[in-house]
Amino acid sequence: MTQPGDADARGREPRRTGPRDFTETTERRVRATIRDALAEAGGEERPRAEDPGPAEGAVIELERVHLGFGDRVILEDVSFLARRGETIAVVGESGTGKSTTLKLLLRHLQPDSGRVYIDGEDIAALSFTEALRVRRRMGMVFQQAALFDSLTVFDNVAYPLREHTDYGDDEIEARVREKLAFVDLDPDRVMDQLPSELSGGMRKRVGVARAIANDPEIMLYDEPTSGLDPLTTGTITRLIMKLQRELQVTSVVVSHDIRSVFRMASYVAVLADRRIRFFGTPEEMAASDDRYIQDFLGGF
Amino acid sequence: MTALAARLNAAAQGTVLGVQNYVRLAWNALRFVFARPFYAGDLVQQMDAMGVQSLGIVLLTGFFTGMVLALQSSVQLRTFGATQYIGSLVSASIIRELGPVLAGLMVAGRVGSGVAAQIGSMKVTEQIDALNTLGTDPIKKLVTPRVLAGLIMLPVLTVLADLVGILGGNVIARVYVGLPSSFYWRTVWEQIAGGGFSFGFIPNDFIQGLIKPFVFGGIIATTACYHGLATTGGTEGVGVATTRTVVAASIAILVSDYFLTQLLLSVLGA
Ligand SMILES: Nc1ncnc2c1ncn2[C@@H]1O[C@H](COP(=O)(O)OP(=O)(O)O)[C@@H](O)[C@H]1O
Ligand SMILES: [Mg+2]
Repeated sequence: MTQPGDADARGREPRRTGPRDFTETTERRVRATIRDALAEAGGEERPRAEDPGPAEGAVIELERVHLGFGDRVILEDVSFLARRGETIAVVGESGTGKSTTLKLLLRHLQPDSGRVYIDGEDIAALSFTEALRVRRRMGMVFQQAALFDSLTVFDNVAYPLREHTDYGDDEIEARVREKLAFVDLDPDRVMDQLPSELSGGMRKRVGVARAIANDPEIMLYDEPTSGLDPLTTGTITRLIMKLQRELQVTSVVVSHDIRSVFRMASYVAVLADRRIRFFGTPEEMAASDDRYIQDFLGGF
Repeated sequence: MTALAARLNAAAQGTVLGVQNYVRLAWNALRFVFARPFYAGDLVQQMDAMGVQSLGIVLLTGFFTGMVLALQSSVQLRTFGATQYIGSLVSASIIRELGPVLAGLMVAGRVGSGVAAQIGSMKVTEQIDALNTLGTDPIKKLVTPRVLAGLIMLPVLTVLADLVGILGGNVIARVYVGLPSSFYWRTVWEQIAGGGFSFGFIPNDFIQGLIKPFVFGGIIATTACYHGLATTGGTEGVGVATTRTVVAASIAILVSDYFLTQLLLSVLGA
């Protein structure tokens, strides 16, 4: 059994060899899932760090973060980091603090102890206005898309531009069209629609378009594919990978969908029992001896 | 016994925390009136939603209240042979008390619940988080325009309700008592003038009748926003937030009405 304390500075677990006590069926299922996912990913290149190094160059870093609500401890000694262009997938059971982790990165929450760095800057130390400046460089895709339901698709995507830039109407429209096209939506068809008139998958795509309107360098996704059918799930996963590839964004993806995690993650962080139980590449995760990790993979 | 004490203590602490948060929200909402950016579009939209869309129910309530007041007082006044004072009685009751309170209660039910439901569903669908993430302060964007709209629109609605209510009294006085309209309106004016004037020209009745809805408008909007933003637990939570808003705002209106009346009477010296 690996202990979270064994993790090195990157949060990566040292490789262990030990008795494999999970059943053969589970193993076969896990391998099949991974093989499928990797095959499906095909030629699409997965962004990956050459080799682990020092924390410098990290775009996102959580360092020994502790956080509780009242008496309840949610996160204990949580550390991980992402370099430019990498994608960290955060997985774990419901209620383990995955969304909370994203809120820490956006500084909607402050850690009780530990630090959160964005581009080497400790965001806990920032004033409210300075935090807005940092937030402006981040895009967030919410679980239920969280589109403003009183605004049209156009106004939703234009919202961050109107709020943060002094672009004229023409410039804003050009941008909105560009972003909608990027997420494979026909601007002329959807621009004047209200979010309630769209399907779940389309709403999610508009959510992505809004999140990238300001050309963020960092993208955060909270369960981007949950509640979507398998086909739409594939579309959204490809969209996230397209963002990685074409815009070199650094991403943190909270997901329950192990197939898409294996397709897009540079590293996987498994949150369990308030801690990072595992941190490593998808391949390392598949090869992990940790019973919990294997059960977790087998569950899909 | 100690368990009970502990529960009471926890409940008291919860209440104190709630009041603290409520006061902080109300304070921030007002503070942001003078901060950039000012969401003027949202203010206009809220004034429309609160004012124009509540006009119907407020006028209807005002009209029937005026009629029933005239009807009841005609019975009472007849026993003294004083039916010519119907106009005085109706206008005094409506301008000082019933206009502000009824408009307040109607708006609390119509607009307060709507605002709580809207902000509550924005909360549970993460739209509030989205605003924050996109660099907008939700208090500035959502609460300030609603509070301002409440402060402006409830006095306007109340004046209209007063007018229509007194008109309702006029109809009854004319039809049931046979009082000429000109006489009715003269007694209305005599009543207003009899209450005295502040600064030499503003009738004291009007001051009372306008300060109250101003306060009620603030109470309704802040209560609704507070409960909306505090919503947790999905769709069910939105229902809870709306119910709480209507109950809390209605009680707050009736209780503050008493204390406001006492305060205004002592200040205006009536
Ligand atoms: N603002 C809050 N106040 C109190 N408890 C919270 C708050 N936000 C989240 N929690 C609790 O923290 C735990 C982790 O929540 P979350 O990060 O949303 O989990 P998930 O991993 O499912 O995204 C949950 O048990 C949740 O109830
Ligand atoms: Mg979550």
